Amino acid sequence: MKQVVFESVGKVFRHRPALFNWVGRERAGATVALKDVSFSVGEAEVVALLGPNGSGKTTTLKLISTMLLADAGLVRVGGFDALRNGSAVRRLVGIAVANERSFFPRLSARENLDFFAALDEVPRGERGRRLDEVLAEVGLEEQADTLAMKFSSGMYQRLGLARALIKRPAVLLLDEPTRSLDAGATAHFWNVVRGLGRRKTTVLVATHNFAEAAALASRVLLVHRGELLADRQLPWGLAVENERGGRASLGARAAGVAEELRALYFRLTGESDGGATERYKSEFEDAGEELVRRAGAAS
Amino acid sequence: MTGLLDKLAVILRRDLLTALRHRSGFAITLVGLFTELTAFYYLSRAIGPGFRPDGMAYFPFLLVGTGLYTFFVMSAQAFLSAVQEAQQTGTLEVLMTTSTRPGELIILSAISAFAGSLTNLLVYVFAGIAIFQAAVHANVLSCVVVLILSLALALGLGIIAATFQVAFQKGSALVWLLGSGLWLLSGATFPIESLPGPLVSLARAVPFTYAIDGMRGALLDGRSVAEMAARVAMLALFAVVLLALGMVGLALSLRRARRFGTLSFY
Repeated sequence: MKQVVFESVGKVFRHRPALFNWVGRERAGATVALKDVSFSVGEAEVVALLGPNGSGKTTTLKLISTMLLADAGLVRVGGFDALRNGSAVRRLVGIAVANERSFFPRLSARENLDFFAALDEVPRGERGRRLDEVLAEVGLEEQADTLAMKFSSGMYQRLGLARALIKRPAVLLLDEPTRSLDAGATAHFWNVVRGLGRRKTTVLVATHNFAEAAALASRVLLVHRGELLADRQLPWGLAVENERGGRASLGARAAGVAEELRALYFRLTGESDGGATERYKSEFEDAGEELVRRAGAAS
Repeated sequence: MTGLLDKLAVILRRDLLTALRHRSGFAITLVGLFTELTAFYYLSRAIGPGFRPDGMAYFPFLLVGTGLYTFFVMSAQAFLSAVQEAQQTGTLEVLMTTSTRPGELIILSAISAFAGSLTNLLVYVFAGIAIFQAAVHANVLSCVVVLILSLALALGLGIIAATFQVAFQKGSALVWLLGSGLWLLSGATFPIESLPGPLVSLARAVPFTYAIDGMRGALLDGRSVAEMAARVAMLALFAVVLLALGMVGLALSLRRARRFGTLSFY
């Protein structure tokens, strides 16, 4: 069954200047965040939404979580229409937002999680055990009773993941999940997310970091300026297929996918500003080479 | 039902812990409350015992009027602050993705916010009676009825303030209107009959007037609900209409905010 379905989805943000705008330069206008986007994601798939800033990744996640409603097309989650049956969708979806301050500062990590777990209707009798589980999973056991206002950016990010996991969502949405994590925490986080895929959780990760997409996902959706430019299986997805049906041409296929995505991403980031382009290129090259190397080793 | 009580319990716990961990804020509220009471006590003494609005001693008249009026404004303000803070910290968007329905969430938050305002009101009135010897002849049943209707009215006003905040990011305008503009017309500090004719008619359209009048009659004059039937009915009507308007307005404003992507704008 398809857990997330986008059918020709469009989203436009309209700007209206303030009523008394004679001191500002704000003008009326519109930003097209998503343009006729269609894709679907199956159960237990780990999919990366890859693209530079402002490409429409976060908007896509917000539409799935019902934080936003689509202007055109259809968003369906677990078979429910997000526009007409938002409550049913919200029961299925957990989201870890990029905003690290979305917690109650004078409550501890445990108190914050307990609060959101109750609103997510996790039974009271089960909450204590689940809290311990998710705190351990994200590596926050020792800070469980520390007030959230004393947390660092990385700790907030882990707490955000814990909050999204506590309801055991069928669909997990992660927005730039390792932005503030150090290398060790990032590696640990990637392992946690890969484990979720094995537990039949559908995961969508929004990231501008190709290395992250390659490390986590079995499939990449490349988005740019609100359009879906490419939808490709990554070798890890191919590796799963190969475990089932032989390892024949995995290395060659991985190299092919990596090259294609590399070319696309070069073209895409080449259109944005110069500084960012260089960073993306080198990130992509490193990740692409690692991808090819690992796929070769697997075959 | 268990789920609802469970959610209410975690919301009350969150607000209580936040208030207790803001110890200085807690103490300042208490000091402010006693300072206000003291000021009204000496104001009534300065005016003298000859001034008896509606046949009541002036200090108890002020005690009920200012206490209830502050309760309404504080309730709307508490409600508005809860939404504003959630917008500013980014928790509103996340709360709106939980399994709890937005309307249910807002009402539960309101109950929590009102618990604080109600505690303030009760401390204010009981301190006025115990420390400053305000004379009361309470009809307990009438007091309870008027208090419940006043809570419903405050809930409606709070939800409307939240609606303004979600829709226009300007709930503070409504709270300003409640806190300043309606002070004159509410009858909190003097009988509305002292106002010129047109303003008296306007004052009768202000819902607080009925709550304040009703509570004065119940707490200071011992009047029964039957004796105050007309003003209790008006109070109930205002409460029902404002609650209904608030709930519909809030649902529409949340949907609009989801459509325009303005849930976290402030």
